[in-house]
Amino acid sequence: MTRYVMVIDQRRCIGCHSCTVACRTWNKLPLDIVYNPVVTEGAQGTWPNVHKSWTPLLCMHCANPECVPCCPSGASQQDEDGTVWVDPKKCLSCKVCVNACPYGMRDASHLEDRMHRFVRKCTFCRDKRQLDPSAEPYCVLTCHQKARIFGDLDDPNSEVSKLIGSVKTERLFEEYGTEPQIYYIPELGGKA
Amino acid sequence: MRHHYWEPPIALYLFLGGLAGGILFLSAIFNSFVISGFAEIFALPVLVSLVCVAIGCVFLVVDLGQPGVFWRVWTTSKSIIKWGATFLVIAAVFALLFFLAFIGDAWPVFAGLSDFLKPAADAFLIIAGFFGLCIMMYTGIMLSTLKAHAFWATPALPVLFTISAISTGCAAIVLSINGWPAIPTIEGMLVSEIVLEILHVVDIVLVVAELIVLLTMVLSFLGAGNVTAKAAARRWVRGSYALPFWVGMVGFGLVIPLIMYIGGGHSAAATIVAPILVLCGGCLLRFMVVNTDDRAEIPGENRYYNRVAKNDAEFISKWTYGDNQY
Amino acid sequence: MTEISKTSSGLKGLVAPDTVSTEVDINQDGVEMIKSLCYFCHANCGVLAYVKDGDVIKIEGDPAYSSQGGLCCRGTSALLHVNHPARINHVLKRVGEKGEGKWEQIPYDQGIQEVADKLNQIKAESGAEAVASAGGTTRTDDWARRRFLNQFGTPNGFHNALLCWIPTFMAETCVAGWSPFETDLGQAKSLILWGMNPGASTLGGMHGYTDLQKAGLKIVVVDPRYSETASKADLWLPLRPGTDAALALAMLNTIIYEGLYDFEFVAQWCDGFDELQEHVAEYTAEWAAPITWLDADQIRQAARLYAMNTPGCIQWGCTWDQIGRASTTGSHAIALIRAICGNLDVPGGDGMPGPSLGFLTDEEMEANECLPEEQKAKQIGSNKFKLTSWPGYQIISDNAKRTWGKTLPTEWFCEAHGPSVFKAILTGDPYQVRALIVNATNPVNSYGDAKMTLAALKKCEFLVTVDYWMTPTALFSDYVFPAAGALERPTIVTHYGATDSFMGGRRAMQPKYDRHTDMVFWRKLGLACGQDPEMWPWETEEEAYYHILKPLGLAIECYDDFVDRYRMYYPPLHQNKFIANGGFWTPSGKVECNSSILRELGYVGMPTYVGCCENEIDTPEIAEEYPIVLTTGGGFMPYHHSEHFQMQAIRYLYPDPYFSINPVLAEKLNISYGDWCWIETRRGRIKMRANVEAEVHPNVVFAPRGWWFPERDGSADLDNPFGCLESNVNVLTSVDDWDCDPMGGSWANRGLMCKVYKCGDFDKEFKPEDTQFSIPGSSKEPGIHMTPSEMKLDREPIPFEKPQPTEEVPEGYEWVWQNNTLYQKDTHFRLDESGWLVNPRTKGYHDAYTGWRYDAANECLVDDETGKMYTMDRDEIVFVAGVRCYPGQAAPYEVPENLTWNTEKGYATLGDKPYVYDPNSGWMMDPENGAFHDANYGWLYDAGSGHLVDEATGKHYDMSYEPVEE
Repeated sequence: MTRYVMVIDQRRCIGCHSCTVACRTWNKLPLDIVYNPVVTEGAQGTWPNVHKSWTPLLCMHCANPECVPCCPSGASQQDEDGTVWVDPKKCLSCKVCVNACPYGMRDASHLEDRMHRFVRKCTFCRDKRQLDPSAEPYCVLTCHQKARIFGDLDDPNSEVSKLIGSVKTERLFEEYGTEPQIYYIPELGGKA
Repeated sequence: MRHHYWEPPIALYLFLGGLAGGILFLSAIFNSFVISGFAEIFALPVLVSLVCVAIGCVFLVVDLGQPGVFWRVWTTSKSIIKWGATFLVIAAVFALLFFLAFIGDAWPVFAGLSDFLKPAADAFLIIAGFFGLCIMMYTGIMLSTLKAHAFWATPALPVLFTISAISTGCAAIVLSINGWPAIPTIEGMLVSEIVLEILHVVDIVLVVAELIVLLTMVLSFLGAGNVTAKAAARRWVRGSYALPFWVGMVGFGLVIPLIMYIGGGHSAAATIVAPILVLCGGCLLRFMVVNTDDRAEIPGENRYYNRVAKNDAEFISKWTYGDNQY
Repeated sequence: MTEISKTSSGLKGLVAPDTVSTEVDINQDGVEMIKSLCYFCHANCGVLAYVKDGDVIKIEGDPAYSSQGGLCCRGTSALLHVNHPARINHVLKRVGEKGEGKWEQIPYDQGIQEVADKLNQIKAESGAEAVASAGGTTRTDDWARRRFLNQFGTPNGFHNALLCWIPTFMAETCVAGWSPFETDLGQAKSLILWGMNPGASTLGGMHGYTDLQKAGLKIVVVDPRYSETASKADLWLPLRPGTDAALALAMLNTIIYEGLYDFEFVAQWCDGFDELQEHVAEYTAEWAAPITWLDADQIRQAARLYAMNTPGCIQWGCTWDQIGRASTTGSHAIALIRAICGNLDVPGGDGMPGPSLGFLTDEEMEANECLPEEQKAKQIGSNKFKLTSWPGYQIISDNAKRTWGKTLPTEWFCEAHGPSVFKAILTGDPYQVRALIVNATNPVNSYGDAKMTLAALKKCEFLVTVDYWMTPTALFSDYVFPAAGALERPTIVTHYGATDSFMGGRRAMQPKYDRHTDMVFWRKLGLACGQDPEMWPWETEEEAYYHILKPLGLAIECYDDFVDRYRMYYPPLHQNKFIANGGFWTPSGKVECNSSILRELGYVGMPTYVGCCENEIDTPEIAEEYPIVLTTGGGFMPYHHSEHFQMQAIRYLYPDPYFSINPVLAEKLNISYGDWCWIETRRGRIKMRANVEAEVHPNVVFAPRGWWFPERDGSADLDNPFGCLESNVNVLTSVDDWDCDPMGGSWANRGLMCKVYKCGDFDKEFKPEDTQFSIPGSSKEPGIHMTPSEMKLDREPIPFEKPQPTEEVPEGYEWVWQNNTLYQKDTHFRLDESGWLVNPRTKGYHDAYTGWRYDAANECLVDDETGKMYTMDRDEIVFVAGVRCYPGQAAPYEVPENLTWNTEKGYATLGDKPYVYDPNSGWMMDPENGAFHDANYGWLYDAGSGHLVDEATGKHYDMSYEPVEE
């Protein structure tokens, strides 16, 4: 089996937004759709004892996604490799899944034709992987800092498996039981 | 939060759906268990519920990104949205049948149809009433299953919505009972009066119950909710929503109608103004709840969305690819 | 490019709902992959372009390039850039009033000819110097512009170079003979990133820093802002903006007085160290602490960290050149820190590449010999800011030719002072500049004192702009030329002609519409002005780059071959060159702690503290009204300079200008996150939104550069077209001569004093009075109050009397006072004690009379120009059929018995046959056709059959003279 996950090394991320723009450019997204924002709270602390880190986001491709069972039309679905995606041909854009996602990682564009909107989200560049199964998502390729690492968690020799096995990682909002599959190596205390 | 994913049409739909459900549910209860044989006095309330369902459905479909293919909502078996849509359709069909059973009273041209349907009218209303109950509960349950939203994901919400729906249904029946197409008769008016008396008391109970559930929910969020729920509750209690909440919902939507119901006797205040206020309060509740779609913030998320461009920014529409300027 | 126009960027209905895949298939038939380079900043990351039918259908980062496949948001937007609807695609000729925005599209060559005619007319009327040219970041083949300007005869080309590296480079060159700018981080133990934020400017580099840091490299970041880079540092020095010189001097002091420097290196390779030691005695860490707002211990800690972890690197940062009058003082001190710690040109230290000794340098492409001396003297600003204009360049360049054998380009390193040119347009002082060709820059946003610059552009009699976009500058132009950009042009990286390595990327597609590359623009303009076509032999960049690369002797037939087969070229010897060279490349051959070149130019030879132009200590009266320290000019993602504000996908993330302000200060000023605020200096005010964040000191605000609003209608407000002033930090900066660096001419972007206040309900619009310019800069007294020649520098020149030679200097030679040595004027070869000339590049000897190279192997002289060889008595050596002859001499080798020595001709012959005996091979050569004949019978050697052929009989013989049967 294959289980795609992403490890995000916050020790390396510098908040350059390259992944964000690469994603929206290559995936040809409407302007108001951002699959992978890089957010920060800004410098925290009191000058000059401050600290800053960035959190690159994207769909968590949860093992137990909230957004799939709630979809009435079957557009929101999950591949066997864990990829959660929305089929625009099936979506009616009722936005239940948008509201169901605890991470705010889905939306329908408000800049598109009012009568032809559909819910969009990160697909781990599914279109690209369909043409070339070994391809990595654009946000991973474009990252100068190599802060995003993509791979197969079921393959014990993959970089992601090794990282998750050796470094302390965190996941966002585990309390919802969604089992998110994006693993963060936090800026501080990222050593096992 | 970048913006509210569900916009006013959805709030209106939830209100109208609940209202319609409340009307059908109460009408069915009264017709079946309190007074029998005067089903025609519920013809207008049922018509009102039909209109509500119709308008609600229009809003619901309009809010879709692809209204033309709304029927896709029935594609999967499990989604709660699908169940809501199903309840709506069934309730609406049987409400329509019930209403048609009485339209002949006003429009003789339909007399044949009405006569044909009339024997089953009570059964129609029972079915419609049952699914009306489902709709009422569904509107709250649907929101409460979206556990990403702290303010929705509480069992109190379906209770609150259901009580509010019955209460608004009650108000709507008060305003519309025994109207067209029912032929005014002495008995009809008497029975209506009895129903109104009961509804009067019922609504007092419901308003008190709603007040309790609402305050319990909001104040317990404020006192014991998680960070997100607390922030939302704070907004309701003493933030930007405080005015609509305390003055609009609690004051004009619940307490003042309550006072009118209790102290107003048969005055217009109690029979006309109070129900209208209850309806407005119910509507306001849906708006406020739907807009309180606070999700737990991923640290920095709000700052990010606060800074990115708004969709009306000049540069967004200034240039169109393929349309060269120089 | 239908693919793009249909689907990108989120305007109405771009992707139909039934479109399942938006992915471009690069494996489809007819797709070619072309190795290209990104063209959106100086990092030039590797790009792979997929081309079908002449159009790029997709790009990706090149994983095999040093950027490891990384592309930032600018790079990934290349296709959106190429096809952007606001790009200028045709020559626009102004038909309305200036700024009215009414244009006529005309053919490219017609536009060129009209411009050329006007330029020639101005030249005839006012002299060539009345034509100036402002450059920006063309990033690769800047020599083409200089080649035009030199032939045209004007010295007034300029860039923003003075804010970016050039003054530092020149100061460093004065210290050690070249800029040590190529950090060898792989072997370094420490690194100082000083006023540099690769986390927002050179992402490819940041990746390496992060990796190396994990492997143990210690990183010190000097930055007043808690930048992306500072957030990852081992030690962060948050100094007061603009006080870098004080910090550098205090670190120098600490390293010297704590004995942390490299004793051996200093003893062997440094000159004047004792003077320096004495000179910096007063600059203690305690002295610097109140100036820099740092603890003395912090300063010492940084100095120790760097000096005790050698080898180490100090990466140059733009800040060094943006502190106004204190700029070069700081970079000069830093240059000395590096030197005395022994970090110059060693493995793990700061490498000094020198000019390319292999491929042609930019300087060799510039045709500087075409510019007459009297025109050089007219270069605006060269009488004041000498280090970076002809007076300093000439000395430094002559020295480089004597020491390296090649030199720096004049483009970037020898330029007019931009702000002074704009002042000349407004005041006619020192003379009226009438025409300005603006190439790849929008001076309103990128040069200092934006209000004055805008006024100058408006007033300029004849303004021509070459750009991608309708910038505020283009708006006021008489002609706007479309420029080809990323993917439409080949790109090379040679660090502005200042390094010996070469990286290249191919052109992925021909320029769209009527766009042309910069080189083609200058070439066409040159030819239209009447310049000699032989001076412009290359029609395309590819031809020119091939010409540049040819001397390397690589196995390539054209430039594209180079990219396909090599992509990068590094010369073999890249470190410790000073050891092989026997000295540094200064006049004295040592690291000059007290620079002789600086002294010769009238400057102090050692860094001497001066505060930045506005600060609490030196100018308390200014600090009273403007109590907050402002720093500007830093790069910030996702923009570059004033570019990319049109790129919607990028702009969406950062739609408004935000300045950073500490929460403590914000609270005091009643400012909340996102509030629009005024930032005001003595020279004007601008508005930006508040980013309330503890990333700056509570008394510092940080404002990003470059802001304008291309989405607005430029012609609607000609006082502030495209909003180019209202959020433009250069409204706040100063270009008054006394605020500029007296050496390099840098103007002041950092460490200015300002006040900040929230936009009020009745004071939130940028008004016409906010746009009025003044000379000198002042928001209170608009107008011209002083001519440039009345403006004094911060420091007056120190008279320097050049020593005179004790003996008479022979004709054609010049005497260098620093090392008491004669050099031949034309070649810059050193006259050795032996009487021979020594070529610095090859270390080879040349004949002092003829310049011919001594060829030790053949014991002769060679004229490399003609390839002819001469005897040591300078007689031409005759070759017949490739065989060296000795006419009039006895045979210098043993002549076989059957041959005859012909004394007159100087070779041995066989009977009366016309063949020449070659003693090296033992064959006879036919001078007619070079054929081989045997030395016994004169039979022809037939290579096809391997036989000897008697031509008289036609008979064949084998090599033992046995007949061969047919």
